[in-house]
Amino acid sequence: MSSSGTRTDLGRALCIITGASRGFGRVVARHMSGLLKPGSALVLAARSGDELRAAAAEVTGAAAGGGGLLVLCVPVDLSHSDGVTELLAAVKTSYTDDMDHVLLVNNAGSLGDISRYMTSFTNMAEVDSYLSFNVSSSLCLTASVLEAIPRRPGLRRTVVNVTSLCALKPHCSWVLYCTGKAAREMMFRVLAEEEPDVRVLSYSPGPLDTDMFTLARSRTADPDLRKSLSDMFAQGQVLTCDESCTKMMKVLLEDQYVSGSHVDIYEV
Amino acid sequence: MATFGRGICIITGASKGFGRALAHEVSHSLEPGSVLLLVARSGTLLQDLKEELHSFSERQHLIVHCIAVDLSTREGVNETVRIARQEAVNEIDHVLLINNAGSLGEISGFENFTDLEMVNSYLSFNVSSALALTAGILQVFPCRAGLRWNVVNVSSIFALKALPSWVLYCTAKAARKMMFSVLAEEEPNIKVLSYSPGPMDTEMQEDILRLTGTRHCLLPCQESAVKLVKLLHDNDFPSGKHLDFFEV
Repeated sequence: MSSSGTRTDLGRALCIITGASRGFGRVVARHMSGLLKPGSALVLAARSGDELRAAAAEVTGAAAGGGGLLVLCVPVDLSHSDGVTELLAAVKTSYTDDMDHVLLVNNAGSLGDISRYMTSFTNMAEVDSYLSFNVSSSLCLTASVLEAIPRRPGLRRTVVNVTSLCALKPHCSWVLYCTGKAAREMMFRVLAEEEPDVRVLSYSPGPLDTDMFTLARSRTADPDLRKSLSDMFAQGQVLTCDESCTKMMKVLLEDQYVSGSHVDIYEV
Repeated sequence: MATFGRGICIITGASKGFGRALAHEVSHSLEPGSVLLLVARSGTLLQDLKEELHSFSERQHLIVHCIAVDLSTREGVNETVRIARQEAVNEIDHVLLINNAGSLGEISGFENFTDLEMVNSYLSFNVSSALALTAGILQVFPCRAGLRWNVVNVSSIFALKALPSWVLYCTAKAARKMMFSVLAEEEPNIKVLSYSPGPMDTEMQEDILRLTGTRHCLLPCQESAVKLVKLLHDNDFPSGKHLDFFEV
């Protein structure tokens, strides 16, 4: 601990990151690895095995203290129960009793079809599939991890929910994304209420230079929203994942956030 | 007296509890030639309700259809939309869609929710179904001049407030609140209301008592239904607003 009381590392931790193959999740993996003490494990999940391995290559060798970081790539589709089960198995094998921190980053997510308005969503299967990946899988994964690694003295448990302004504010032509994000925020608020010993961070990373943002600014049906996103891009207001991730790590290390509350990058 | 004009009103979860009370209240506000579509799983209970409404509906020349379907299925949603479409031939000046069907879900500690299929099934009925049905009905009755459109989302204080052990219910209600807020943003000609009816004397509350031991002071369904109908008639709220029985 530094003299200000803020930690300088995340301890000997089991860190699990979903959507770790690209975008924000990939950068989180890299930042995390620099803050994990020897004896830690980093479990990276996403659908693409190849992309995960590339992400893992960026990470290995970067562990704080120069080594002793186990990196596990778990290519799974979290919208299916097999995917969650398989990831959980990897989590269990990576966990050791001398770890002092388990940290789950629920980052995997998708935009849904933003080129259409609400009146076109007559296909229940499409909505079900979206909610399965963006809401249900993060609930079941979080529940499974907390059940598998229960509370014990000397163990910190942290759950991160990568959220968005869309959790709080409706956006035209983004019904699935807004609905999923609002659902997740409430879900993690319930967790924070139920389990005061679990630190729950709903972090809103801001507009990032990712594939998701490229999709957003090029495919959004609502003309005003599309324009404001492409203006943001043209005016250099889009953040790098590195910038946003740095802020998120600061919040995690300071550990002063109110569990379950919405923390926006612009307020850090 | 304010009315819903010559309208088509669709109420889901109409067989019991709040939905059933709404069917009674709304029918008093529908003018002759109006259509009332009552949707729920139980054909028997819907028939009973239709009979209860009979003498009134006959006098009022109300057409009442019972649609016994499972709204957690695509077939159930599509059948409801199909019947609405059949009724679209008549000239109506008001569409009132009341998304009331919903379930409590399992009440349990967070770490017990490890079953993806169970969670998906819950969200499908309580979230996806309301979206698909609303979208379907919107397609049957597109906005046009002279057509008043109201959508009600039967919500809960737990769309706003997190309650331990109630992760499924809170999550679905929060999802619906946002979903209907997006509708309000997208469709300025549709008046959207998320209405939290308060704790009522329903089977759902009996389940809550049995599962949690918590007893609330319960409202009669009719009282809350009357309030909702008044809110709709007064029409004095911004579209997308979330209103609670106790604050109006």
